[in-house]
Amino acid sequence: MTAALRIDGLHKRFGSRQVLDGFSLEVARGEVVGLLGPNGCGKSTVLNIVCQLLQADAGEIRLMGEPLARLGAAARARMGLCAQDCALYPDLLPEENLHFFGRLHGVPAAQRHARVADLMERFGLAPHAATRVGRLSGGWQQRLHLAVSLVHRPELLVLDEPTAAVDVAARLDLWRLIEGLRDTGTTILLTSHQLAEAERLCSRVAVMQGGRVAALGTVPALLARVPGQSVATVQSRDDEATVHRALRLGWAVRQRAGALRFLLPRHFSLREVVDALDGPEVSAVSVRAVTLEDAYLELVGDGAALE
Amino acid sequence: MRPRPLLLEQTLAVAQRLLLEQWRQRRGLIFWAVFPAAMMVLFGLVYAHNDSMRAGLDAAAAGILMGAALFFSCLGGTVAIIAAERERRTLRRLLASPLHPAAYFLGVVSAQLLLAAVQVVMLYTIAVFIGARYHGSLWLGGLILLLSVFSYVGMGFFLGARFARRSEEVVVALSAIGVPLLVLGGTFFPLEIMPRAMQLAAQLDPVLHMNQAFKGVAAYGQGVSELRFELGFLVVFCALSLALGVSSYRRLLVLDQRA
Repeated sequence: MTAALRIDGLHKRFGSRQVLDGFSLEVARGEVVGLLGPNGCGKSTVLNIVCQLLQADAGEIRLMGEPLARLGAAARARMGLCAQDCALYPDLLPEENLHFFGRLHGVPAAQRHARVADLMERFGLAPHAATRVGRLSGGWQQRLHLAVSLVHRPELLVLDEPTAAVDVAARLDLWRLIEGLRDTGTTILLTSHQLAEAERLCSRVAVMQGGRVAALGTVPALLARVPGQSVATVQSRDDEATVHRALRLGWAVRQRAGALRFLLPRHFSLREVVDALDGPEVSAVSVRAVTLEDAYLELVGDGAALE
Repeated sequence: MRPRPLLLEQTLAVAQRLLLEQWRQRRGLIFWAVFPAAMMVLFGLVYAHNDSMRAGLDAAAAGILMGAALFFSCLGGTVAIIAAERERRTLRRLLASPLHPAAYFLGVVSAQLLLAAVQVVMLYTIAVFIGARYHGSLWLGGLILLLSVFSYVGMGFFLGARFARRSEEVVVALSAIGVPLLVLGGTFFPLEIMPRAMQLAAQLDPVLHMNQAFKGVAAYGQGVSELRFELGFLVVFCALSLALGVSSYRRLLVLDQRA
C-alpha cells in the first residue's frame, strides 16, 4: 500500500548551517510516527517543509503517493497542522474558529455544520460554546487548536510539540484525544520534546541527529538498543569507588549532570542494587525500568539530552 | 444548494471573520467612528464660520473622507490586521491552509469596503448637517470609493508585510510611510503650492488621485470624462495592489520563518 507520507533525501541549509542533510522517512497510513531530537536538530524544519511553509533545497516528499510539489495548495487541503502556539482568533467563539478554518478548506456548509458539532462534542468544548477563545484556559485553547486542525478531515495530521505549552492535566487530556485519533486510524506525524509523549502515542519513533534519522523503530525496538533492562540512578560521595564496583558487577555506566546511572542487565529491586553496591559512599539510589529517554540518550549521546 | 467556488467562499470567510472581530472589539469600533466624525465636525465648524472658506466645505468633506477616514481605517486597519495575524501566530495557520492569497486580499478589501461605506454615510450625514453638499453621481462616487479602498488595502499589505511585525510597529509604519503619502497627496496643502519636484512626485502617489477623483465628483460634480486620468490611474493601481497584496502575502511566509 502507498505510504501516507514519504520523505526522500531532504536537504535544507540556513546560511552556513546545514539543518537537514538527507533526511528520509516513511509514514504508513494510520500510523503515528514521532520525531525526536535535541533542539535545533531540524524536527520543526521537516514539519514546515511537509506543510509547505518552507522550501527544501533538495529532496522529494510524496503525500499519498503524489509529489507534494505537484499538488501545491491541494496538499495543504489534505493536511492538518497543530503547533504548540495556539493559532486561534481570540475574539471569536470556538465554533466560529472551527467554521472559519472549515470554510478556508472548502468544507461544504452542511458537512461543516455536522463536523463542527461533532468536534465540539468530541473535544468536550460544548460547555464553552458561548465563551470567546481568548477567555478560555490554555488547555482548552489547545484542545480547540487540535480540533481546528481536524475540521476538514485531513489525511495527514502534523503535530508540532502539541502539548509543550500546557499544564500536566491538559497534557493528559490532549494525549487521550490524540490516542482517540490514533485508534480511529488518523495518520499522524508529530514532534515532541517529551519522551513520555512519544512513548505513549507513537507506533514508531525516529530519532534525529545531524539533520537525518539516526534511528527508527517501534518503542520496544528502540528500548532493545539500551544495554540493560533497568536503570539505577545513584548519588555517591565517592563516584570513582562506586563506578569501579559497578563495572566489576558488569553494569554499563553512564554519567550525566553529576548523577551516576547504571544500566542493569535485568530488573533489579532497590534492595538488590543497594546490596550489590554495598559501600559507605552510596547516599541515594533509585531504580526504574528502561524508558525511551534511555534509548534516546544511548542513540544521540548524553550531551544532547532533552529537557 | 450548489457550494460556492472556493475562492469566493474563502473571500467571504475572511471578510466575515474580520467584521465579526471588529464588532466584538467595540472600543476600537467607537474610536474608528469618532475620529472622522470629530474631524468633520471641527473642520466643518471652521469652514462654516468663515464666509470666505464656506465654498470649500464640499471639497473639505471629500478630503476628510479620503485623507483621514479611509486612510486610517483601510490603510492603518490593514497594517494592523497583518501585524495581528503575525502576533497571534494565525498567519502560520493561514499559510498552512489552502487559502488563496487573492482570497485573503479580497476578503480584507470586502471587510474594509463595508466599514468604509458606513464611514461615508456617517461622515456625509454630519457634513450635510453642517452645510456641505454632494454634487456628482453616486455611482461614480461609489466606484472611486471602491478603487480607493482597494488601493489603500494594497498599500496596507505592502507596509504590513515589510514594516509591521508587531502591533506596536503599526503606528510607526503608518506615520513614517503613510503620512508622507497623505501630505504628498494634497490632503494638507493643495498641489499648486508645492515645489515642482514635489508636484511631479505627487503624480505617483495614489492618495493624490483618490483625493482629486473624489473631490472632483463630490465637490464639483465632475463626470467620467473629466476624471478619466485619475480613474485610469486608480484602476491600474488597483491591479498593482492585487499583485502587491498577493506577493506580500507570499513574502509573509518568508518573513514568518525568520521571525
